[in-house]
Amino acid sequence: MDSSSQSAAEAAVQALEDLKADIEGAVLDTADAIDAYRIRYLSRKQGQITALMKRIPDVAPEDRKAFGQAINAAKSTVEQRLEEATAALSAGGASSAAPADLTLPGRTQPQGSLHPITQAARLITRVFENYGFDVAEGPEIEDDWHNFTALNFPPDHPARDMQDTFFIEDAEQDHGGILLRTHTSPVQIRVMEEVMKDGEPPIRVIVPGRVYRNEAISYKSYCLFHQVEGLYVDEGVTMADLKQILHAFARTLFGEDVKMRFRPSFFPFTEPSAEVDIWWHDENLPGGGRWMEILGCGMVDPNVLEGVGIDSEKYTGYAFGMGVERIAMLRYGIDDIRILYENDVRFLEQFS
Amino acid sequence: MIISTNWLSDYIAHGLSDDALADRLTMCGLEVETVEQTGHDLKGVVVGLVISAGQHPNADRLSVCKVDVGGDEPLDIVCGAPNVAAGQKVAVATIGTTLHLPSRDNPEERVAVTMKKAKIRGEESHGMICAEDELGLGSDHDGILVLDDDAVIGTAFPEYLSAKGISTTDTAIDIAITPNRPDAISHLGIARDASALTGKEICRPAVAIPEIGGPVADDFSVSIEAEDLCHRFVGILVKDVEIKESPAWMKQRLLTIGLRPRNVIVDITNYVMYECGQPLHAYDAATLSGNRVIVRKAIPGSSFTTLDSKERTMPEGALMICDADREIGIAGIMGGENTEVTDATTDVFIEAAWFDPSSIRRTAKALSLQTDASYRFERGVDAEGQAWAAKRAADLMVELAGGTLVDGMIDVHPFPYEAPVIPVRSQRAVDIIGTAIASDEMVRLLEAIGFGVTETQAAPAVWDVTVPSFRPDVEREIDVIEEIARLFGYDNIPEPTHSRIPNFTPGMASDRQLRERLRDVLSGVGFRETYTNSMLPVETAERFNDPALPGGRYGGEVVETMNPITTEMAALRPSLLPGLLRVAGHNHNHGQQAVRLFEFGRVHTKRQTNRTLVGDYTETETLMVLASGQWREQHWEGDARETDLFDVKGVVDRVFGAVGLESPRYKQRDASALASWGVDILLGKRWIGSLIRVSDEVAETYSLRHDGLAAELDFTALAEAAAAAIRPTFETISRFPIVERDIAVVVPSSQPAGPMLEVIRRSAGNLLKDVRVFDLYEGEHVGQGNKSLAFGLRLGADRTLRDKDVDKVMNQVLKALEREFDAKLRG
Repeated sequence: MDSSSQSAAEAAVQALEDLKADIEGAVLDTADAIDAYRIRYLSRKQGQITALMKRIPDVAPEDRKAFGQAINAAKSTVEQRLEEATAALSAGGASSAAPADLTLPGRTQPQGSLHPITQAARLITRVFENYGFDVAEGPEIEDDWHNFTALNFPPDHPARDMQDTFFIEDAEQDHGGILLRTHTSPVQIRVMEEVMKDGEPPIRVIVPGRVYRNEAISYKSYCLFHQVEGLYVDEGVTMADLKQILHAFARTLFGEDVKMRFRPSFFPFTEPSAEVDIWWHDENLPGGGRWMEILGCGMVDPNVLEGVGIDSEKYTGYAFGMGVERIAMLRYGIDDIRILYENDVRFLEQFS
Repeated sequence: MIISTNWLSDYIAHGLSDDALADRLTMCGLEVETVEQTGHDLKGVVVGLVISAGQHPNADRLSVCKVDVGGDEPLDIVCGAPNVAAGQKVAVATIGTTLHLPSRDNPEERVAVTMKKAKIRGEESHGMICAEDELGLGSDHDGILVLDDDAVIGTAFPEYLSAKGISTTDTAIDIAITPNRPDAISHLGIARDASALTGKEICRPAVAIPEIGGPVADDFSVSIEAEDLCHRFVGILVKDVEIKESPAWMKQRLLTIGLRPRNVIVDITNYVMYECGQPLHAYDAATLSGNRVIVRKAIPGSSFTTLDSKERTMPEGALMICDADREIGIAGIMGGENTEVTDATTDVFIEAAWFDPSSIRRTAKALSLQTDASYRFERGVDAEGQAWAAKRAADLMVELAGGTLVDGMIDVHPFPYEAPVIPVRSQRAVDIIGTAIASDEMVRLLEAIGFGVTETQAAPAVWDVTVPSFRPDVEREIDVIEEIARLFGYDNIPEPTHSRIPNFTPGMASDRQLRERLRDVLSGVGFRETYTNSMLPVETAERFNDPALPGGRYGGEVVETMNPITTEMAALRPSLLPGLLRVAGHNHNHGQQAVRLFEFGRVHTKRQTNRTLVGDYTETETLMVLASGQWREQHWEGDARETDLFDVKGVVDRVFGAVGLESPRYKQRDASALASWGVDILLGKRWIGSLIRVSDEVAETYSLRHDGLAAELDFTALAEAAAAAIRPTFETISRFPIVERDIAVVVPSSQPAGPMLEVIRRSAGNLLKDVRVFDLYEGEHVGQGNKSLAFGLRLGADRTLRDKDVDKVMNQVLKALEREFDAKLRG
């Protein structure tokens, strides 16, 4: 053995000795530290252990085995430490030490929100779904038949003035006029027509949807709004049943002790008809509050049932309809309907 | 309709306070909207005698008066009225009295003024001698109000008024009359319901109906040519009337209910209409050519000048009142200028008729002319009420206008009224109302509002119910049942303790459930839901009726309304985009850096399609997702970042995933006026929507301060696809771990990643579970004009994958990439 190979071997052994402290002691608490560690020892080009491997031929043959084992041991230490550090890091516990500043704000997720009209409509539909009502929907552009005539609004009757209508086509054609629906009640007709094609009542649905009224826009009225309509047709349905379900509804929305009254009113498609008020507490008013109308309802008029082929002697039914905006405004204390359609984020974020 | 409680008390002593009356009326179906006190109590105003009236020493136009108001000493009062004179009985507002005087700037407004001892140009004044307007009794301010000679000095002025039938205060009750209650559009009509509610009797003014014919029928003739539209015409003649102002009590009542007094004749016709509900018309009898009245249809297109001096063109079918030569009134709507009562009128011909409601309504609509008369006729007036109303008006003209009644009455009555008789089953009433009301109670309720009830069968009772002539709305059994229910009181119907629910199949995977799910998902990833107006200007609708968007894709026309409120809202939206852009712009301009919005809504187009339900219109529900501005805020460990395409794409992928669909394909589309660039969103071959970057011109219109990125999806199509998607079924999970392998290749910079992903999926075979792009690099290491894309593949099988399996897949992938894209493995 010549002295040069002797010294190269010694240098290689010494180099391995020098690395030992770092191999065993380097702090591996971040991904960057782990990466640098891996490159420092194992990288094909820069890795120091890789480099030492290449120096094996320089070592005297009788020492090669021991040297090789030492390098391999070092390499497995590196690998093992890498594995442990990686695992610890991915487990989030690379270090048990606390972050330097625990009071820094967290990484936030952006906040979204559901519009108050959606929230109110969901609340309303949920009550009735719990009471076994199905949900139906229908078109916003309607014909006169479904919006008026089938609902017992005779042609040239003042009842048509109760709902200011946007017209799309004149009455001259067969359809008797096309318009923007003024209420969701035409969907009652569509549902009953559909059922009567090959069936019979019972029919038990609610109908949420957008409706249009040709009225001046103000804090209390907008050119469109949303309604939820309800219809139940079956044998033996009475006004008492109607009162019961609407009272249950009012209790859910306005509290167990809600004060409610049924007031006779008029809708062409129901008879008897009623409007329902709830007592709205307001200490600033004389009398401590006032009655607020929340919905209209009644027993389905026999003309409506007969018009879609339902035997009005065998079946009776009730129907009701309410404005979603009105309910939302009452619940959330909103005093101007227009703000619902402005969609200012500062308004929307209150309903997050 | 407004009623006066003083006026109402002429007909019924109901014994209720104003509020209690309002409440009872409301609960029987006459909804009271407001209850308003009118007038003032005039407390402190007393009757005085002017003892002397002398010239004020320092003012030409003022007098200094001594007035006896029943106290120990007469009062010194300075008065500015020209007509004040000794010996007059006057109304004196004493010290401390509060009057509501007309404001100097605006005589319609009143200002409360409290009388104080004052010095006027050096003379003491202890009160005020009042003019009519200062007392709120009229508009006269030309001089003081001079009272009757027999007025008692020192009595309270309201007492003096009350003896003359005038009340200083009144209550105006505004009632929203529903279209089914023509009987309630008058004071007597309201009294009828009040009577039914309280059991108190109604007292109608006594009117002696004249015999048909007589002298008036010798002078005048009436013929009805359009008998189907005019079932009755009653005429009465009053001669030698004096045209003057109405008495104070009548003017006051008319003012309370919101009518402006005109002259005694016109006021009487209005008064009687508001008394009993029958509209009347008074013609100047001298102007009726040929002393004839003919009721016939107008010649369509002819013109006629109504008494408001407006020339109007008569529509088809309009019913006219004519004399021998010409048209003199639009039946049931408004009289003509040519025969109206003027100051020169001496003889008055009173018309009271019954006109067909539909005809009046059509004509009034066509003319856009609704009057108090047409309002009542189109709802249906009492078929039997004409003679009473005409004679009542004639009596008042005799009493208040000094007229002379011409005996007799013209009554042309081609269709005599026959009271409908409706069979009503008490059991049916119970079945509808849902509570057992005793049948004699039902009879009592019906009789209280003038219905006749004859029992035709007992236990359960069946009746023949005779409908009074003032209830034309009651035609069917159900109408009678409603009357029973309304008077019984809805609040008295007990609620059942249990609720019956029919046997039904609860609905499951409807559009609605998907929509609600997406609402939750989108609000969960930081988007805010909006509701925007469906109506917008026609130009805006046309601008957004773009084939890039679901609504415009139909290629139909924009839908317009025939009668928009304003041109700003004349069309229906073809897309949710304009509404959301407006919201985004509004929020950018109110300090919001990050705007992330979504909306579900219907969009409209005029085009017949397989989705058409009504006419030629297609209504599509779309979902729009719009983001503009910061996606990520500046944070302590990272910089702010603007929203870009890939943020919104990620959200769209999320939408598809949330309804159980795989991520869609994105295919680049051409720029347009609306979009500076964009992609179509496809599910297989089906077009679901698009994602666009809003063009600068459009962004400027809406004052966007950041890029606008918007995706609009055809929600109906999405829901259909979701419904058609195969329901997830359980697959056995492999017990063997997934193997991850990366591959990085260099390709020209222009090479899109999408096709490369597709090739990888195709070439990797069935071991591939997932592939993603995890690195994109351009720079010196890969050479000018090139980029490096790194893909991470996840491989797995129901066995342990050996290296050679994995190598084989990676080799196939590399080969395919080399072949298809000339890709080079990055060293």
